[in-house]
Amino acid sequence: MWREISKFGKKMVQCGLAHSHFGNISVRVGNKLIITRSGSMLDEIDENMVVELDLDKPSSFDTIASSETIVHRHIYKETSALAIIHAHSPFAIVQSMISSTNLLIPSDCESKYFLHEIPIITGGVGSKELAQNAANVLKDHKGAIIKEHGPIAIGKIVEEAFVTICSIEHACKVKYFADLFSRK
Amino acid sequence: MFGWNGKIAKVYLTEKKIEPIPLGKEFLADYLGGRGLGVKLVYDLVKPGVDPLSSENILVFAAGPLTGTTCPTSGRYATVSKSPLTGTIFDSNSGGSFGPELKFAGFDGLVVFGKAEEPVYIEIHNGKISIKDAKHLWGKNTREVTRELSKFGRVACIGRAGEKGIRFANIMNDYTHTCGRGGLGAVMGSKNLKAIVVKGNKKIPIFDRDRYKKYFQDITRLLVASPVSSKGLNQYGTAVLVNLINYMRILPTGNFRFSRFDFAEEISGEKINSVFPIKKTPCYACPIACKREVRDTEMEIPEYETISMFGSSCMISNIQTIMKANRLCNDYGMDTITAGSTIACYLELNGKQLTDEKLLKLVELIGERKEIGQELSEGSMRYARVNKNPDISMQVKGLELPGYDPRGVLGLALGYATSNRGGCHLRAYMIGPEIFGKPKLVNRLTFSGKSGLVQVIQNLFTAVDSLVVCKFALFSVGEEEWANILSAVTGIDFVSERLLEIGERVWNIEKLFNLKEKFSNKDDTLPERFFQEDGGVEGRNIKKDEFLASLLEYYRFRGWSEKGIPTKEKLAQLNIQM
Repeated sequence: MWREISKFGKKMVQCGLAHSHFGNISVRVGNKLIITRSGSMLDEIDENMVVELDLDKPSSFDTIASSETIVHRHIYKETSALAIIHAHSPFAIVQSMISSTNLLIPSDCESKYFLHEIPIITGGVGSKELAQNAANVLKDHKGAIIKEHGPIAIGKIVEEAFVTICSIEHACKVKYFADLFSRK
Repeated sequence: MFGWNGKIAKVYLTEKKIEPIPLGKEFLADYLGGRGLGVKLVYDLVKPGVDPLSSENILVFAAGPLTGTTCPTSGRYATVSKSPLTGTIFDSNSGGSFGPELKFAGFDGLVVFGKAEEPVYIEIHNGKISIKDAKHLWGKNTREVTRELSKFGRVACIGRAGEKGIRFANIMNDYTHTCGRGGLGAVMGSKNLKAIVVKGNKKIPIFDRDRYKKYFQDITRLLVASPVSSKGLNQYGTAVLVNLINYMRILPTGNFRFSRFDFAEEISGEKINSVFPIKKTPCYACPIACKREVRDTEMEIPEYETISMFGSSCMISNIQTIMKANRLCNDYGMDTITAGSTIACYLELNGKQLTDEKLLKLVELIGERKEIGQELSEGSMRYARVNKNPDISMQVKGLELPGYDPRGVLGLALGYATSNRGGCHLRAYMIGPEIFGKPKLVNRLTFSGKSGLVQVIQNLFTAVDSLVVCKFALFSVGEEEWANILSAVTGIDFVSERLLEIGERVWNIEKLFNLKEKFSNKDDTLPERFFQEDGGVEGRNIKKDEFLASLLEYYRFRGWSEKGIPTKEKLAQLNIQM
């Protein structure tokens, strides 16, 4: 399973959706989740850079997992997701900062059709508040943006979550430029 | 003065004389406090070749500029002396509430000289210091002494191990907190000093409260966001490491003959949480709160190092037995790492297996220096040497290695070898980058890139030991945040590089002290076992040529000669007078 994570980790970095050791990816396998390790780089994932955790019960291994593990675990418990990606893509972050509401409506045709709307949620890094807020909105959305932080998306497979992350970033980029020029 | 009190006290036990000494702001800005201040004083005041257990050695208790503020994890102080176990300069620090109380009483530190004619304790109360009769306390263990003296203030004391000069006797404060390593409790005992009691109500003045508040919030936010501190250590204590370190195949097992323990689960943090109702007993101003005990019985939950030494290294899988051994050590006032490792060495030498009862009996015999305990109370290096098998003592410079097999974490291997106080993980906790990925995950199975990293982390940890704050905070809080809050507290402009330079200055002074004690680059090494045996993981023995190349590179990073001696240029750069 680490190979799937590795494949999309590389794509994330290639597409500018994550860099350095930011961002994280996980998959659910039965009552386990496999997640990227804290401090790992998404384009350098190998079998030693992921950790397998119990879905129901935190353990000492949580300490080497991504600091957002609590969020992933909560989403898996509350939704039927089998994969989660969290990115730090710039246009999504910018839109979450300048939006006056907590619901972003895409301007472009493709995003409107695919995403409909993108919720903006709040909560500190690795906090219970963020975990709860993310799980709540992802019950009826494919993805959301954590305010001032970055998008998070779910899927049945990692690729599905990756497509949603790309769509959110695309929607935010288009909206940013559209709004910029319409103000002129 | 802000942050500091600007004052230490010299206590001359032979002459029964007390002398308060003012410390200047410039001097304090160069050494900070804690380890830095103590190392500077020991370097200046202890002559080369002095017997650590003679009246010519001194013992320093030093708090830091952040101690006693509300800065997260700042409730610590350091003790510094020449170690009777290693013969090196040696600092050991501890949490609890004793350090802050020393600051509240009006002192940044205490330097103990000479030897009292009869057992005494020192009482410090709001700036006044008196030497008091302790004959009624002599012969008692730490829990009893703490109980008796705590009505007068916060207590740091020794048990029977310190009185008997056991080379790894420790100093216990607030009963369960300990300056654990290196035998500084024996130094205290050699001075006939049973305890120090301190009480005060002075507030620590802060230069810029608004900036302090901002940096306080920055540090707190980072600690909360870090899974290591907020989810690992907070939920399981340091026992969080047992399963993880076993999984990584670096859990010392059977005196480091193996690197995985089949019964690790039985002695893990998860097991402890499932069996015992836990009460957290945090140190002063600490949101991490890793210290724990069993609710109702107040039985201390052992630290990871204790579990790894009495547990996997002695092949004991009963957590209750390990807890009892830990309690015995705390009562006698002995370092659990050296005690456990020395017993593991004894077992290997004699080809013996241990029962739970026998382990507890051995700990007691060591504490009493009776029968085989007499030999073992000298530590594993002397025990193995006397028995003509020095290679089975798992130590560096006489200090027993803690609970991480260096064959699977090569940065830590270099850290062990170059540590100024011997086989210690806390000089540069490479488990951070090599296992936890803090601040960045690095390949643990290569020496490549480690020399530079190790010396920078050593400098940082030395500075942190001088503030004095807890190293566990370093999983998420870096030098920039510490420099910021230190500036806000003291009104002196500290930046990251200045903090690292202070660490480097203190590290170099420690090195100079050790060179005068005839330590050389030949002592910057590891037990031969790690070069010869693989610990059960094929091919994992450390390649000696790679190790030596890495060591030379380390010396170059330090600006030292190929023999590991600081150059004149380096000392001048750090403003160190020879």
